[in-house]
Parts: sequence; C-alpha cells; structure tokens
Amino acid sequence: MKAPKQALLLVGSPKPGESTSESLGAYLLDELEKRGVKSQTLHVAKAVRSDESVAELRAAVAAADLVVFSFPLYVDSLPAPAIRVLELIAADHAAGVGADGAGDRAFVTICQSGFPEVDHNEVAMEICRNFARAAGFEWAGGLILPAGGMLGGQPLAKMKGMMRTAVKALDLSAEALAAGQPVPDEAIRLMAKPPIPKFGYRFMANWGWRSQFKKRGQAESLKVQPYA
Amino acid sequence: MNANPTGAVLLLDGRLDDEPTAALAHEALIDGLTAGGWAVDDWRLQGDKIAWCAGCFKCWTQTPGVCAHNDDGRAFTERWVKSDLVVFLTPVTFGGYSSELKKALDHVIPILLPFMQKRRGETRHPQRYESRRDLLVVGTVPAGRSESAEAQTFKRLVQRNTLNMQPPRWTVGVLEEGTGAWEVRVAVNGLLAEVGVDGVLAADGAGREKVVA
Repeated sequence: MKAPKQALLLVGSPKPGESTSESLGAYLLDELEKRGVKSQTLHVAKAVRSDESVAELRAAVAAADLVVFSFPLYVDSLPAPAIRVLELIAADHAAGVGADGAGDRAFVTICQSGFPEVDHNEVAMEICRNFARAAGFEWAGGLILPAGGMLGGQPLAKMKGMMRTAVKALDLSAEALAAGQPVPDEAIRLMAKPPIPKFGYRFMANWGWRSQFKKRGQAESLKVQPYA
Repeated sequence: MNANPTGAVLLLDGRLDDEPTAALAHEALIDGLTAGGWAVDDWRLQGDKIAWCAGCFKCWTQTPGVCAHNDDGRAFTERWVKSDLVVFLTPVTFGGYSSELKKALDHVIPILLPFMQKRRGETRHPQRYESRRDLLVVGTVPAGRSESAEAQTFKRLVQRNTLNMQPPRWTVGVLEEGTGAWEVRVAVNGLLAEVGVDGVLAADGAGREKVVA
C-alpha cells in the first residue's frame, strides 16, 4: 500500500440528514487532510440516482487512491444503495474501466450499528473485504463501532469525551493510512469497545424508545400489528 | 408488483440479469413449490419501485409496523408477514445479497420492535408478530466458486439472518453458474425438502422426466 494523495469518503448511509456513518468517516477524512491527503465525499444514495451522479461516482473512484467506506449495518449486511455502489465499482473493474490505478488503490471500511456487540457487523466486514479483492483494491482494514446510537449522527469532535476510544481509533487509523499502512490492530480493538457497558446501553435505548412513545401519547400503539 | 400478495410462499427474486443457472433455479423453485400445493407469490424485484430504506425509524416511532414511505417497500412488509415460507434467489454479491434483493429486505425492520433484549449472548430486537416463517436461500456464484470465500460469507450471512428472523426451519444452497438443468432441479428440490415443502419428491420425479426427455 502506498501513501495516499486523494481519499474518497463514500457515506453508505441512505439517511438524508446527519448520519453516524458520515460523522465517523468525516472525522477520519479530516485527520487525513491534516496529514496532507486531499479528500472528497459522496453519499451512496445520491451517487446511484442518475447517470450523471454515477459518472461523478466513477470519476471520484478513479481519482482516489484511498476509498473510505463508512456505512451502517442493515439486516446483518450493507444497506442496498451501498451494495449497488459496490456492484458498479466492481463491474467497472471487471470491464477494465478506470484500470490505470488498479492495484495502487486501498479500501478501508468503517461499519457501525446500534447493537452493542461487534459480532453483528462481522459478516458485513467480510463482504467489504471480498469486494475489495474483487474490485482490485488493497484491503486496508476495517473498523467496527458498536452502539453507534450513542453518537446519533453528531459530529465526532463534539462528543469526544464519551467517544474517546473511537476518536483514538480513528486518530491511529489516520496516522497509519496517511503513511501507507493498513489500519492498526490497536485501532480495531479500541473502536470495538462499546462507549458504555452493554447492559447500560440496552437500558438507555429501551428507556429512550418508551419515553418517545409516552411523550406522543402513543404508548398503547407501540406494539400494534398492522398486518396480523 | 405481482398480483398475488397473500401467497403462502414469498419468493423474492433478486436477480440482476438473466443468467441461465439462476433462471433454472427460479423455474425449479416454482415447479417444486407448485407441485407441493403452495401458492407462490413470485416477486421479481429488478426494476420494481422500492425506495431505499432511509433508516428514519418512523416505522418504529410514528407509524408503528408500517414503512412511512408508501411504495412497494410497504407492500413487502405485509407480504412478508403473511407468508409461511420466504425464498431468496440472488447472485452471491461479494458474499452478500444483490442490491435488488436487499432493497426489499431492508424493509423488514417494521416487523421488529425497537426495544433491545439479550438473547443467546447477543442483543436483538424482539419480533412484532408471533408468527414465523421458514427461510430458503438460493445463491448463484460463477463456475468453480461454490467453495470460495464469497460462498462461505454468504452462508454465514444467512445464518446471521436466521438469528434475527427466527425461522423455524431454514436452509441455504449455492449453485455454480453453468450447472445443468437436472442438477439444479435436484439441488433445489433438496433444499425445498429441508424446509418441509411436501410433494417435492413427486415434483422431483416429474422434473427428472421432463429434463431427461
């Protein structure tokens, strides 16, 4: 792997507003920029919307020597538009489109979910690794953030105290990636630590959902079965 | 959208093209299920209008159990709930499902409740409905790739899905592109038998005659 000059953040969350995936990816990108790596950000849901946006995606991928793919876990895997983007990139690679840089490009992944265990995300990480191999990228490693709900789409820099291990993990990753090294094991280990104990996280999440329903006066409708 | 929204079998066809082995698998699934007396809700997803699940969680908070976006994604949830068996047909895509299958499957969230509970050592969301459905998954891979890393990942993905979807019975098979019609039919009928589709053996016999002839 070579030291990158141009990084592309692909935000894999289909959410139109602020997303935890973007927050994590943007922090890593900022840290890479501080180390002299230029950057660009695209959102997968917008990237596959039209022929023009697909052309923009292709150009951005071709220009990047490091792709940062940050996405939320959807049903044990990647969200559909994120898969669509990977299908497009791999098909281009197979067809020899933008083949000039092939072999010199690295792919790094950040996967987060609302579950406090990393086990849920491991198959999604395997899928990304398989993609990297199929599309001619060097695998630069993958970070899994459990209990992503704690960040809730806020900029990571704002949440530094509670998310300090994630911040440290991304700092270490940026340092390594900027130097042409894969994500260090220590960063993977730090990122995998839930910000709070699992029991506490589940308690807070359940309390949060119940409060929302109570506020709306909808406590009774919470468990409705519209299609029973 | 298909005209049979309440079939006991929901066949989610996530093919991206007309690759012949997947087409044979589709035909064998329809034949086996029909021979078993099942009503098949055969849904080719490619090109169907289903918005990406935006992860807004309105299906948990504002319109419990119903996707806030009114398109076939909402219909998907209803057809899923009303099925007794769900079948996925998909090209193995880096070890996962195709984007076409996944655009529907991402809309399975409304069948869950937002709460978190620990089950078998991991946190999970409880099911909204008491009913469960069996799961049969058929993936296709390029020739010679049935033991590849992608195929192994695919099987692990299905296994992870079952932890959340809790099907009473489930099975997964991977078919190599270029597999002959007879072999595809035997493999598919074997998978159908694993999820208890009655009449498969008879269908197998009928299919064999048809193919050999």
